[in-house]
Amino acid sequence: MKKIFQYTICLVALALPFAGSAQKQASPYDMTINGVKVIVQPSGNDIVVIQTIIKGGVQNYPASKAGIENLAINALTECGTMTDDKNSFKDKLDKVSAQVGGSSGMDFASFSLNCIKSDFDEVWPLYTDALTSPRFDPKEFDRIKQDAINNLRASESSPDNAINKLAKQTAFAGTNYAKEPQGTVASITALTPAETKKYWQSIFTRSRMVIVVVADLDKATIEQKVKALLSKVPAGAPFVEQKKSYTPAANSFKEEQRANATNYVRGIASGPLPGSPDYNAFSLAMSIFASRHFLEVRSKHGLSYAPQAWFSGGTTPYANLSVTTTEPDKYIAVARGLIDKVKKEGFTADELKNEKTGFLTGIYYRNETNEAQAASLASNEVLHGNWKRSIQIKEDVDKVTLQQLNSVFNKYINNITWVYQGDPKKVTPTMYTQKETPKMPAEKKAF
Amino acid sequence: MQVQIFSMNKKLLVAAMLATSVTAFSQPRLPDNYYWQKLDNGLEVVVIENHKVPLATIEIAVKNGAYTEGPEYSGLSHLFEHMFFKANKDYPDQEKFIKRTEELGMIWNGTTGDERVNYFFTFDKDSLNAGLKFMNAAIRFPIYRTEDMQKERPVVDGEFQRAESDPYFQLWITVGKKVWGDLFTRKNPIGDHDIINSATPEKMMVIKDKYYFPNNSLLVITGDVKPAEAFAKVKAIFGDWASSGFNPHEKYPIPEFKPIEKTEYFVKESPIAQTPYVMYVWQGPDTRRDSVGTLAADVFSTVLGLNSSKWQQALVDKGLASYAGVSYQSAAHVGPVQILAVPNPGKLKEFTAEVLNQVNHFADADYFTDEQLQTAKDILRRNFIRSNEKPSALSSTLTFWWCSASLDYYTDYMKNLMNVTRADIQNYLKKYVIDKPYVAGMIINEDMSKQLKVNEFFKN
Repeated sequence: MKKIFQYTICLVALALPFAGSAQKQASPYDMTINGVKVIVQPSGNDIVVIQTIIKGGVQNYPASKAGIENLAINALTECGTMTDDKNSFKDKLDKVSAQVGGSSGMDFASFSLNCIKSDFDEVWPLYTDALTSPRFDPKEFDRIKQDAINNLRASESSPDNAINKLAKQTAFAGTNYAKEPQGTVASITALTPAETKKYWQSIFTRSRMVIVVVADLDKATIEQKVKALLSKVPAGAPFVEQKKSYTPAANSFKEEQRANATNYVRGIASGPLPGSPDYNAFSLAMSIFASRHFLEVRSKHGLSYAPQAWFSGGTTPYANLSVTTTEPDKYIAVARGLIDKVKKEGFTADELKNEKTGFLTGIYYRNETNEAQAASLASNEVLHGNWKRSIQIKEDVDKVTLQQLNSVFNKYINNITWVYQGDPKKVTPTMYTQKETPKMPAEKKAF
Repeated sequence: MQVQIFSMNKKLLVAAMLATSVTAFSQPRLPDNYYWQKLDNGLEVVVIENHKVPLATIEIAVKNGAYTEGPEYSGLSHLFEHMFFKANKDYPDQEKFIKRTEELGMIWNGTTGDERVNYFFTFDKDSLNAGLKFMNAAIRFPIYRTEDMQKERPVVDGEFQRAESDPYFQLWITVGKKVWGDLFTRKNPIGDHDIINSATPEKMMVIKDKYYFPNNSLLVITGDVKPAEAFAKVKAIFGDWASSGFNPHEKYPIPEFKPIEKTEYFVKESPIAQTPYVMYVWQGPDTRRDSVGTLAADVFSTVLGLNSSKWQQALVDKGLASYAGVSYQSAAHVGPVQILAVPNPGKLKEFTAEVLNQVNHFADADYFTDEQLQTAKDILRRNFIRSNEKPSALSSTLTFWWCSASLDYYTDYMKNLMNVTRADIQNYLKKYVIDKPYVAGMIINEDMSKQLKVNEFFKN
């Protein structure tokens, strides 16, 4: 029952960490247990999702140890627990088709449980065992370390991953955001099970934790189970997630030869910090800009299958422009011309009105599953310090004015850090870096 | 959602009575809260009532795609799908088209596969009528201008080039050419660069006049809607869409694939493959001729995904591969059985030998236990519950099965999976896999290939 290789036209990317409460669900609530905030969203269905969030992400380790947090989280389910060896643990999960696992990203790690409600009592002990008493068996650890290296190489084979990595390492060089959560071959190779276990114990503290439950479980059951879990977790030192702006001082361009069948271009610009007053307006502005970018680059000029623009709203927030094209010089002329036009003429009242309508559809559309709702509650709590933003977003967005929309676009979309992978002979770097907007290059045959 | 077998429940009866001029066709079996009608023009309509969120999704699926394409049309079902979003009589250019989607707050997309082309919009539940009219204009009254096509051809070709930049795609397409031979175009929806870049409005009209008729389409409405009202709206808007008067798949029959003649191995060197990928493909069953085989394939693939399976223990647990999956792609016209693996480069030779060793034992009486068989079925049952969690995705699941099997197949799917026996699985394996010719391919970078002397052991 597998469908592969379907070709789609691209949806305009809306990378916004928002959620909305669904129509048939009871209201969410929170409680504090043993110093840890526990957010509960009743689901109205038979699926149980629980996410344990560990704050910090790339702030938790030096670049030389990149990958350690992901390897540690993978080891929780792949290297056995004090109760079960790896095979016994995984076989028990298979028995009830439960999904237990996690990963670590730029701003936080998430370790998730997804099961059918009737299986919850069987799965919960496995979940808590993995978190609180992982075995870090050396033989299994060697296996997952080799897998991590293989996966890293496989990921580098993907051109989208490759351009993404180049863009981040160029724009955020010397800062936390230049670190790769998946690590490097060198950093992963050097890791030992003892060191990785010690690292896990250092970050798995109540001071870094948030727990999100999206399920129809009664409050007393949640309280009792979470209390038992947290009784095994140390308090830890207080932790506050750092936020840092990115503002490039000038346009820049970095190229890399890569044997792609087409050329990959990515631009990174500034963006407002989570929790700042500009955040919602900029989210809307980038979403409207994405539509214009699509229309201009794809519909009007036929320059790309996948022109995209979006806002990455993490602890180091930034705006993205992305394209694959056989004509990178034409693309930059069109894209920069479009940015100039928006800055000069602004967005329209109609665009803002329509965006607000579409935004609501998007909220519901993106949050139809328990997993998505849990992720939204978690990211709003970690990044904005306010999980309720997840369900109040409609009111917040309704307040955004046209003046705010135009003001934030002008404020944050200025200098851009451009990176390029493909055939360097096809691109003129000065068109990306020069202060004035370049003119459209002379017509030439595309193929 | 529990699958239920019934011909017509009470709610459906009410819905059917409200749409009085709908001809009485035999009802397919459908799950609870799914309602079906067939208009006089042959358009099948399913309404899936689901009030989880206040949205509605409408989707039209057409039995079109790679399987209808000979070499001269390779990739044009996909280009046609793109042109759907370009211009029509109500919205004569893409700017106006997109503006309308923005006014309706619409999320929209389309896909082209081997046996289906589908178009889907999701919007606020109160915009159902406007959404249906928008769909009607796009599917029935498209405008193909030479200048629009000139702009869209590089877009579609750009999608192709993105895919070609990925080593997995390069491996898949090279294997595919050998598995399907002269008829490879019928399993390759992305198509051929030259055909895409020379496509004309006339060729678009040929596709439209062959396949884009109500009697070759399924319209599905999913979400916070009332079935009776939804059927009435569909009838009012799509009721005058004229039937072709012929069955496109009888008039333009799909040729049968020739079996793979002999087992073939190849190594493809590519600088973008940072680590090797390996693929083995057999020609498997299809839903027209061996539906039991298709079900056995799904159960067997799930057994092999179990951590405790001999397959996972031999390959992943022992560190010969980071990933080793076996899958079957359901199809009406010969579905492929595929092994895809990311082997550990340091153990590539052992990996290659072990894959063959395992395949040779697939049909052994003790290759999997009764407990594993039951666990696999339980996993499929639970996955089915999960797959029904997202309302906006229900339409696409249904249209996939309508195109590649039938509505009855979908409705009975879970019940029939539960009835699959060990003998069914062994029959499937003996008929399609054990001692049958296959194609095996590896993509690897040149340095690694030489260093590991891959050609010395990855061969027939």
